[in-house]
Amino acid sequence: MTAVISYAVRACLPSRRWTGLVIVFGACLAFGLLAHVPDSGREAAFARVASAGLFGLVLPLATLVIGDGVLGADIRRGTFAYSWLSPVPMLTLVLGRWLGGSATAVTVMAPAFALSAVVAGAPDAAAPAALAATTGAVAYVALFVAIGAVTRRSTLVSLLWVFLFERLLGTALTGIAQLSPTWESRAVFTGLAAVPADLVRRGIPSGWSAVGRLCVMTIVALAVATWRLGRLRLTGPAD
Amino acid sequence: MTLPSETGTRHDGPLGVDPALAPHPTVEVNALSVWFGPKVALSEVTCSFGPGITGLLGPNGAGKTTLMRVVVGLLPTGAGTVRVTGKNPRTDRSTHRRLALVPEDEAVPDALTAREFVRYVARLHGVTGPDRPDQALGSVGLTDAADRRLRGFSKGMRQRAKVAAALVTDPQVLVLDEPLNGTDPIQRAALIDLFRRLGAEGRTVVASSHVLHEVEAMASRVIVLVHGRVAAAGDHRAIRDAMADRPRRVLVRAGRPRELAAALVGLDAVAGLWVDGDQLTVGTSRARDLAVALPRLARSVDSRLIEVRPLDDSLESLFRELVR
Repeated sequence: MTAVISYAVRACLPSRRWTGLVIVFGACLAFGLLAHVPDSGREAAFARVASAGLFGLVLPLATLVIGDGVLGADIRRGTFAYSWLSPVPMLTLVLGRWLGGSATAVTVMAPAFALSAVVAGAPDAAAPAALAATTGAVAYVALFVAIGAVTRRSTLVSLLWVFLFERLLGTALTGIAQLSPTWESRAVFTGLAAVPADLVRRGIPSGWSAVGRLCVMTIVALAVATWRLGRLRLTGPAD
Repeated sequence: MTLPSETGTRHDGPLGVDPALAPHPTVEVNALSVWFGPKVALSEVTCSFGPGITGLLGPNGAGKTTLMRVVVGLLPTGAGTVRVTGKNPRTDRSTHRRLALVPEDEAVPDALTAREFVRYVARLHGVTGPDRPDQALGSVGLTDAADRRLRGFSKGMRQRAKVAAALVTDPQVLVLDEPLNGTDPIQRAALIDLFRRLGAEGRTVVASSHVLHEVEAMASRVIVLVHGRVAAAGDHRAIRDAMADRPRRVLVRAGRPRELAAALVGLDAVAGLWVDGDQLTVGTSRARDLAVALPRLARSVDSRLIEVRPLDDSLESLFRELVR
């Protein structure tokens, strides 16, 4: 397991992707500064910026970079064959990739989200933001690992998931929002922090219930990835 | 040896034993068919591989890479079965403990050093010896480059890194898909020597290559795939002999070439004759008869034979014949 985790962090996330994560960290701080612009109270302003910018944009895109890197990109490059061709159980491969990706995502996102709250002048929101970022990142990485196992066009499908399925359909339909790490992680934050009432979405679990929902999503996504990897046709990078 | 007939079926060898089947197989492929959508990549392939080196040959698109990927389990079978040491490599992951593939493509984890890459594969296989990765790297001459990132490796170095990653698992079955791609002549000779040693140790080594004379140097037993089917199997020279009814060309360098040519024209075994200086190119469909008659005829016209060499006794010519 440790070999798979370290491979996920070292080999699947090359320096280019790490550069992207540094940009993500900077973006979080920028969103924190942006919360100073509205005239409303600091907590409310940060809650609005966090809902739209941090959970709606930064979290899915940053975890997409990581989640796609730890599996989908490895399959596309043809290098996943070295892992597949080993006696290691498929579940271990999936868990190792997910843990490596999640550790990276949480290491970057949780402090960035918390720091963003502090920069915004809403230090009380730092802990809920960090918790929501952690649970959301973990679920998202699992989701993108599953998408990477299901399709070779994992980047495109992941983007469609985030912007079409979650952003467009999830905004309109509560049933879709319940399957969305964006909406559920946002619900973790709005359920645990002091936020304006209009930011609390009705019809989906919030607070700790949303954490539970994200855990279920994570487990389902990892199960799908494990099932799918066992049936993968590894034809090489050229095909 | 096995050859294709006009209808594409197979003929058993003289003893009724299919030469596509190894006597003590570790890899058994039975009636294997694989297709990608409407394209049939392999069609009812039956063959086996045992200890020693077997060359897997065929023109581009013949299905060599597909067969190798099915053998190691990376691709599922469409129909038929594949067994490696009696187990299904697709579903039984314990098979991979002693099974290794060197894939054709250049893909390696660029961000890792050669040592990290080989160590990763070793750890996945539960290889415990701390020196094993270094030994594997040493066996392919990459000791000095072990701490360099694979990103900066040449094609040949990447190839050797992949071989090292395969060797570190101490495989009983080693599948090499174009293993000499991109290597320079010295590295190539060293790798051929390494593969020969592995075969001599009793490991099952299956190697494909486009550089056919290297496979001739590496493997005496060959299986020829053409259009997704086993077109021929056995020793490549035996295959060539079995194709005696097909024309072949023999270069003859001799003194008094015109007199020798005149004598050869009357021989039944000679189907065509071209004279160029002291060289004769003789077309024949009965090479053995020609070989017997040639010294006698040369003596009769007082011609000294300098060189007699088949021009198309290579696997390239075999392919040309088989795909025709």
